[in-house]
Amino acid sequence: MQTAELLLELGRWYLMAGGVVAAAFLVFGIDRVEPSARGSYAFRPLLIPGICLIWPLVLYRWFTLEKHGEDAR
Amino acid sequence: MSVQYTPVIWNRNKIFYDAVLLIAVVLYLYIYIRVAPGFEDVTKPIDGAILRMRAFGSCAFLMLTVILCIGPLARLDRRFLPLLYNRRHFGVMTAGIAAVHANYVLTWYYNFSPTDKYVALLSSNTNYGQILGFPFETLGIVALLILFVLAATSHDFWLSFLGAPIWKALHMFIYAAYACVVLHVALGALQGAGDPIFTSVVAASVVLVSGLHFATGRMEARRDRGEETAKASLQEKGWLVAGELDEIDDDCAKVVTLSDDERVAIFKYDGKLSAITNACAHQNGPLGEGKVLWGCITCPWHGYQYNLSDGRAPAPFTEKISTYRLKLIGSTILLDPNALPPGTHVDPVEIGEAA
Repeated sequence: MQTAELLLELGRWYLMAGGVVAAAFLVFGIDRVEPSARGSYAFRPLLIPGICLIWPLVLYRWFTLEKHGEDAR
Repeated sequence: MSVQYTPVIWNRNKIFYDAVLLIAVVLYLYIYIRVAPGFEDVTKPIDGAILRMRAFGSCAFLMLTVILCIGPLARLDRRFLPLLYNRRHFGVMTAGIAAVHANYVLTWYYNFSPTDKYVALLSSNTNYGQILGFPFETLGIVALLILFVLAATSHDFWLSFLGAPIWKALHMFIYAAYACVVLHVALGALQGAGDPIFTSVVAASVVLVSGLHFATGRMEARRDRGEETAKASLQEKGWLVAGELDEIDDDCAKVVTLSDDERVAIFKYDGKLSAITNACAHQNGPLGEGKVLWGCITCPWHGYQYNLSDGRAPAPFTEKISTYRLKLIGSTILLDPNALPPGTHVDPVEIGEAA
């Protein structure tokens, strides 16, 4: 029981952290690293579940693209 | 990428594809839930919630099977390619159907106790050390999480943002999801009362998915071996490996140096390849740096033009330059270094499938 509760709590915190990353990325980051997203807003809510699920990878790519630009693609 | 993103790109073909898919899913669920119970053993009636749970679960399993078969089928026979073009929508729908299955499980088996249903799901059976009675639900949870990640990252944005290698590696987890689903079914549903139809369907799915991947792997290995033999044989005859197809941009050339005073420009244009000498007949201008228009190359120095297939200037001009023979083996371009007399016609190499 305790392990299950701990796992669920970890999952909850992971998704909440993902929500924070999603907000930051969709408001500030996406326009800086993804030229095709500039001026395009309707599709952004679709990205929220993905960012919440793989936010460590999103942070890594955001950082890499900021640092190395298009060469990182 | 210069095109702005939209939530979902639909065209006529995709709408048709999605409509057929949706109709097939609805039909399957209708037959499973409404028609099939009419043929069940009346001494062992199945509860409505369990029936719906099984209907959605088996539907997701079959959809996953089809998704995994589309790739190898399209490689074995190009007529299956249309199925490949909209596979992402198929995947998203599969994740949705699997989620409905999971919701039925949660609300039926774990909803009637004071314990939180998610806690109950994870803690009611923790006998991971045994085969019979293995907590197969965990395998279903892992598969569902993978399907969620794949569905959530199926938009074009993710391919561009993550880069093709990472995106592809991430989406290869579909095989892990399938393995988890097969084990989820084998250790769960198949352990109960014998259901020969469902057992056969699961076995057929595993045989089909593995068989198609094995057949495709063998076919590609055989083709690769054939290409290597063809390449080696041409090289023995003096042909040179000039480079790979993806090294040349459309309407551009790759210049290959044969000797100090002999350079060949290999052009990619209109889905074809042609090779001519790099030196313009007028003042030796670098033709490889010129622009291709209507199958003609224009010298960047003084604007002299030559037809790429025969090295002749369009009428009424009479200049001629040497042409070269090319072959495309897989994606490797091979060049016959012996220049043909100026103005000799050489059929351009069609890029076709190799592109």
